[in-house]
Amino acid sequence: MNVADFIIGALQKKHAIDKSVDLDSLNYVEEGYVDSLGIIQFVSEIEAEFGIAFTDEELASPSFQIAGELIRLVERKLEEKEGNA
Amino acid sequence: MTKLADLFYRTADLHPDKTAIWCENEAATYRELAEMVSRYSRFLIHHGVSRGDHIGIPMNNSVASVALILAAANIGAGLVPINPTLPQHAIQTAFAAADVKHLIARRAFLEQCEKSGGPNVAGTTICMDEAYDGFPSLRDAASLPAERPISGEISGEEILIITMTSGSTGTPKPIVLTQQNKIDRAMAHIRLYGITKEDRVLAATPLYHSLAERLVLMPLLIGGTSILLPRFTPKIWLNCVREQRVTFTIAVSAQLNQISAELSNPDAPGIESLRCLVSSSALLEPHIKANLIDKLHCDFHEMYGTSETSTVTNINFRETADKVRSVGRPLPEADVMILKDSGERAEPGEIGEIACKTSLLCKGYYGMPDKFQEAMRDGYFRTGDLGYLDEDGYLYFAGRKKELIITGGINVYPIDVERCVMELPEIDECAAFAYPDDRLGEVVALAVVTKEGCNLDKRAVQLHCARNLADFQQPHKIFFLDQLPRNAMGKIVKSRLLEHVTLNAGSP
Repeated sequence: MNVADFIIGALQKKHAIDKSVDLDSLNYVEEGYVDSLGIIQFVSEIEAEFGIAFTDEELASPSFQIAGELIRLVERKLEEKEGNA
Repeated sequence: MTKLADLFYRTADLHPDKTAIWCENEAATYRELAEMVSRYSRFLIHHGVSRGDHIGIPMNNSVASVALILAAANIGAGLVPINPTLPQHAIQTAFAAADVKHLIARRAFLEQCEKSGGPNVAGTTICMDEAYDGFPSLRDAASLPAERPISGEISGEEILIITMTSGSTGTPKPIVLTQQNKIDRAMAHIRLYGITKEDRVLAATPLYHSLAERLVLMPLLIGGTSILLPRFTPKIWLNCVREQRVTFTIAVSAQLNQISAELSNPDAPGIESLRCLVSSSALLEPHIKANLIDKLHCDFHEMYGTSETSTVTNINFRETADKVRSVGRPLPEADVMILKDSGERAEPGEIGEIACKTSLLCKGYYGMPDKFQEAMRDGYFRTGDLGYLDEDGYLYFAGRKKELIITGGINVYPIDVERCVMELPEIDECAAFAYPDDRLGEVVALAVVTKEGCNLDKRAVQLHCARNLADFQQPHKIFFLDQLPRNAMGKIVKSRLLEHVTLNAGSP
């Protein structure tokens, strides 16, 4: 499945994202789309879907909380995975 | 007896142009909300929903959700609101337990159902977004007449909400709340906290739990304004309170812990509008309470209650100087008794099970009259919590009789997590337990013993849980042990797990 579609879908599990929101710069933690209760499942589902693993540094980085940055991170990791295959 | 929908419509007639509800980018006056309720009522009837039918609804916080609650009351139907992140098998179990006939859900949820093959309902499926896969769209209700349809005799004893907050997700206990229950509970809180039509009442917890349902109904029955937050972070909460001039709210203590920390930021907004703030689900640490009172300049209460009994006791912060760590005295509607194991009433100071007799008691567990009767003793509902009363009738909490983790104000039954984790073939045994957390109060922790010769890492356990459990059930800490602590009879001693993992575990 397309990375952007999956991540946007996962972000909207509880609350639809209004069409006016700029997804690329959306901080989904600050805007409450993923909270302290939901973050573990959110991260695990992305890792499971794409067969990747985030490092502690990636998880701790502020850019991890930006939807557009997260999408690009996952896409990069997938490219690396294919490059190593 | 005035019915809930009648009360709402009467209030709408009195204040047609006043803002009834605000929710982020949406707002509605009383006239607009009443028309929405009327249109939704017609839409539901047109699509085969009858008085007495139960409608499953993965709930989010929105004006539409609130209108649906009122529309259900108007036509005598019942809603079964659930957490949209529940895994499909838990949703199916909940729907079966509550005899759900119809489903109203967002498109994303229906797409997910299609992928995983459920849940299927016998009646109508309605999409809250645009029409999907042949299912009618709730948006089409906008074209229906705005006059209120009054469909037959509504007695007020119809089930309005069946809430799944008691019992594990494997064996849920569906708590029945009738229309009259909801009115009685709303009015009791209106009286307790002096709510008037001048109040702007904030609901910042999910509508699939009864606290938020009560908080939205309270103002709408007396001409106040309901402020509904779709998502929570402490910053969003504070900005909302300030911008929407919120005067009253009930929050869960986990939220208030975070809000207190946020208020310590130099750029935190000044809050002047709050008249009264109530904390629920767990007692706040004294320094957190003091910080909130100091920064928010409002009346402050803490309360204790259960979903079956609603609020049982309440304490104003001015009383707490002499009653440190008390959860307060019973509401006028309630009486509290402490039961010893022998079944006798305990004396003041003696610890036993907290039991409550109250006019706010739910109607029972749907389809489980025996289970509900088991929990009753001489008209008192046994809460499963331990506590004691002092000489002045103030209640003190002394722990939980039942095995429970409460994370962010939500109950997690360890058995649900353990059953899921035991599906992994590499696991010999496991135990889920409460682990302290500054933000959430407690988080779910897991102690795992793998079978000999088996290798399993934390990630594999996390992925399995992510796929098969709801968001609030996810383990935040996973500890691998050689063995679990047991007593002389071989039984796992969960109360020693926290100490055990601290001393023995590999890195979480």
